[in-house]
Amino acid sequence: MPDAPLQSTGPLEGGPVIAVDRLSVTFPTTGGDGRVVRDVSLAIGRGERVGLVGESGSGKSLTARAIMRLVPRPGEVSGRVLLDGVELGVGATRDPTKWRGRSVAMITQDPLSSLNPLVRIGPQMTEMLRFHRGAGRAAARARATELLTAVGIPDPARTLNQFPAVLSGGMRQRVALAIAISCDPRLLIADEPTTALDVTIQAQVLSLLERTTAEHGTAVLLISHDLGVVSGFCERVIVMYAGRIVEAGPTEQLVSAPAHPYTRALLASVPPIQGELPERLPSIPGSPPLGGARIPGCAFAPRCPIARDVCREVEPELRAQARDGHEAACHAAGDPTWEIPELASTAEALP
Amino acid sequence: MSTAPMSSPLLETAAAEPTAVTDPHFVRVALRSLRRNKVAALSVFVILVLAIVAIFAPLLAPHDPLHTFPSGLSNQGAPMPPGGKFLLGTDESGRDVLSRLIFGARVSLLVGVIATGLASLIGVLVGTIAGYAGGIIESILMRITDVVMSFPLLLFCIALIAVTGPSTRNVVMVIAFGYWTYLARIVRSLVLSLKEREFVTAAKTLGVPDLTILRRHILPHLAPAIVVYTTLGIASSIMIEASLSYLGIGVPLPQASWGQMINSGQQYYQTAPWLLIAPGICLILTVLSFNLAGDWLTDLLDPSDEVTRR
Amino acid sequence: MSQVPTPQQAPTTPPGGAPAGAPAGVHAVEVTDLAVHFRVRRGLGSVHTVRAVDGVSFTVGRGETLGIAGESGSGKSTIARALVQIHRPTAGSMRVGGREAVGLRGSALRAYRRRMQMVYQDPYDSLDPRMNVLRTIGEGLSVRGVARAEHRRQAAELLERVRLPETLLTRYPGQLSGGQRQRVSIARALAVQPEVIVCDEAVAALDVSIRAQILNLLKDIQQDSGISYLFISHDLSTLRFLADRVAIMYLGRIVEHGTATTVFAEPQHPYTQALIAAVPEVRTARVGSRPMLAGEPPDPASPPSGCAFHPRCPRATDVCRTTAPALRRKASGSLAACHHAADAPGGTA
Repeated sequence: MPDAPLQSTGPLEGGPVIAVDRLSVTFPTTGGDGRVVRDVSLAIGRGERVGLVGESGSGKSLTARAIMRLVPRPGEVSGRVLLDGVELGVGATRDPTKWRGRSVAMITQDPLSSLNPLVRIGPQMTEMLRFHRGAGRAAARARATELLTAVGIPDPARTLNQFPAVLSGGMRQRVALAIAISCDPRLLIADEPTTALDVTIQAQVLSLLERTTAEHGTAVLLISHDLGVVSGFCERVIVMYAGRIVEAGPTEQLVSAPAHPYTRALLASVPPIQGELPERLPSIPGSPPLGGARIPGCAFAPRCPIARDVCREVEPELRAQARDGHEAACHAAGDPTWEIPELASTAEALP
Repeated sequence: MSTAPMSSPLLETAAAEPTAVTDPHFVRVALRSLRRNKVAALSVFVILVLAIVAIFAPLLAPHDPLHTFPSGLSNQGAPMPPGGKFLLGTDESGRDVLSRLIFGARVSLLVGVIATGLASLIGVLVGTIAGYAGGIIESILMRITDVVMSFPLLLFCIALIAVTGPSTRNVVMVIAFGYWTYLARIVRSLVLSLKEREFVTAAKTLGVPDLTILRRHILPHLAPAIVVYTTLGIASSIMIEASLSYLGIGVPLPQASWGQMINSGQQYYQTAPWLLIAPGICLILTVLSFNLAGDWLTDLLDPSDEVTRR
Repeated sequence: MSQVPTPQQAPTTPPGGAPAGAPAGVHAVEVTDLAVHFRVRRGLGSVHTVRAVDGVSFTVGRGETLGIAGESGSGKSTIARALVQIHRPTAGSMRVGGREAVGLRGSALRAYRRRMQMVYQDPYDSLDPRMNVLRTIGEGLSVRGVARAEHRRQAAELLERVRLPETLLTRYPGQLSGGQRQRVSIARALAVQPEVIVCDEAVAALDVSIRAQILNLLKDIQQDSGISYLFISHDLSTLRFLADRVAIMYLGRIVEHGTATTVFAEPQHPYTQALIAAVPEVRTARVGSRPMLAGEPPDPASPPSGCAFHPRCPRATDVCRTTAPALRRKASGSLAACHHAADAPGGTA
């Protein structure tokens, strides 16, 4: 059933499905130096689920779009993206339609924007199958029905004849997922796939996403502002702030022993649903900087409760921490001389 | 916080500049845009020149436009060609063409601006009330608009002038009567989407009276649309005035008007082509300039975006 | 239609627990049997009545926060919009500060609006982009009759209350961040000195780090001024943090109503239980399968028979399919509308 995309020799065993090497996105019109994504490097193995977490302006969605070669003009992308060891955008992969939607698929927050509102679901699905896989008309339709069943659409035959607008948000996301997995992609990028959905539907879609990708060994890059969603779904989490990766590591490690003060603040500022409830929420003052703003030293320093002079002058490198696979870009991380105070619970805006 | 706001959820960047209208330095933005857009700059220049000519017509015109010069006709009684005392020649009655053109600019511009201004006023009023009030008031106003839109304007004009006799005032009235409907429809649809915006709801729940909401939260957002469509409307009005005058039911003789100059000049197109060419070029240049300026303003102000932008 | 026991008393009536018919002023808000129905056209000609809100009763005490939770289509936002009189109630009564608010018009309605303010979800749409902060807040001050000469001083004070520097007075919304806009929005509401502020998903559109600031700010303001909040949110953890009491809504009705502590510790209604279970909490280990609610909320234009939740309910039996359960006091102390949750000894309210 799975036919090898791009390469007839098949991917190297053990190598990452996708490797992103110093990816940067620059918008000339923005303030500062306009670098909205700064030197992002990451790798995702076969069947691995990795979360990309950040607030608005962190560059998380643009990172995904840069991988997909979907950065709108006048944005400029630098750095390399390797799919199964083959650099995208060079030689045979210069034409993105050769791999986009086929080897790397994407679902977005609002499927209404990726589905054509004037075309019924059926043709939209079969078009994809026929284009990428050369399926015949009847075979494509049968496969589409099969896919819709797989994503839990109650009446697939009826849904194929419907327009996207009549479906509920949850059903639309299921259809989008069915289209995304229709060509057995190597990597599925899910950009805030459940943000627009109610919590009970969110749980359904996440569990569906997990099941369908696990079946085919599809790697997933889940982009979300919600650490709760990401930590429940991903084996590894990457935290972005102001266009940079500030912390990355296995979910358990990152959540139980965050090394970066920003990650710590993100975790603490969400009120718990069970257990002891604080009178006030620990929070960090100010707002995340606008994308592309140029901040000397560590971009988080102006809001950081433990920042010292060095933080405002020297940009910290992403360094390996004590535990395997855990990295953080913070001068204080792993330094015992740097005491970590309790987070204040402020209501302050920017001073 | 010194940089521009983020507004595009996709980019999550500061890429979006504040739109031209919300920018307090609107004039500076407009001038910068004109420096980039040569065609627009030229048309704005033409309009400015035209306005100056129209305002200072008595000072600029070399002769009395209504005076019949004995020296303005050849011995055979034909119009004099351009050159010498009459820079653009004379017409069939021996009047100076340049002076008539200059005073004709006055008529064209005056009719264009007043008629369109009047139309805009009515259109904005009707459109705003219809859009904001909704319900039966909206139905009534919009049905009236539909009826007026289906009026045969030319026949209506001929009938009106048959009753009251030709006058510049009638031309203005007829054009205003014909044009307000377009603006009323545009404004209504803009108001319909504006009143769903949350800041309008917020003002309402704050207890701000409806008239104040209209003045403070609705009308300012309509300004770009009104400016754009009024500019384009002036171009159409000048055309209609010229057409009416050409047909002899517009600006009455002996007052000079470009349309009516073309009309009387066309019979001499072989012997005295300047009688046709001079007002023709003026008319084309003026209408073109207003249309191009309107297009430029559309790009600059983006009237629909101002309303629907979230 | 089921009869909701009325007048319904709050499970814990904060000041004194006064009986029904007490002198005006016991509750900031007292909503009884509120119904908001819409007529919608589906397809060609057929008109349905959507009972967006039906038979809803609750009270909000002075200085208290009532949280209303539910998924989209539950009617929670409709309640907010009915209270600030954007929607007209079809039936029922809304008393604010002891006075009836349904059916007000003209100047009486404007006077009412001064007492009940709203903070909106979208900080990018709720401020007029053409008005600077001073004028935005000034609009609220004018409504209260503050002289124009006083505007700058009072607006600066209001900005201080929402922890913004005075220098922002001349800024336009386009020059503010999302969090700053939401603070301005709160300042505008405070400008008319309301008794109640309805927050309709007021922090949903904000970044996590900003959200915590705004929630702390709302708490501070309440402690300083004794204002009441009706806080509407789909986010249960936010409600747990901010609300004294919560009401869980499903398809236009309250299905569970009690103190926040009780509802979150001992949820009685299966829907409440499912909602709490579905909250994506930060977990150290990935959870393979947790109890998950199947299906989607039904179409409000054609609600299911009996208990509206029965098609999705893991505990549904025959009685649920035929009989709508009344909102009754349960053993936990909360009110819940479920046949399968044990009643409190002594029965109904």
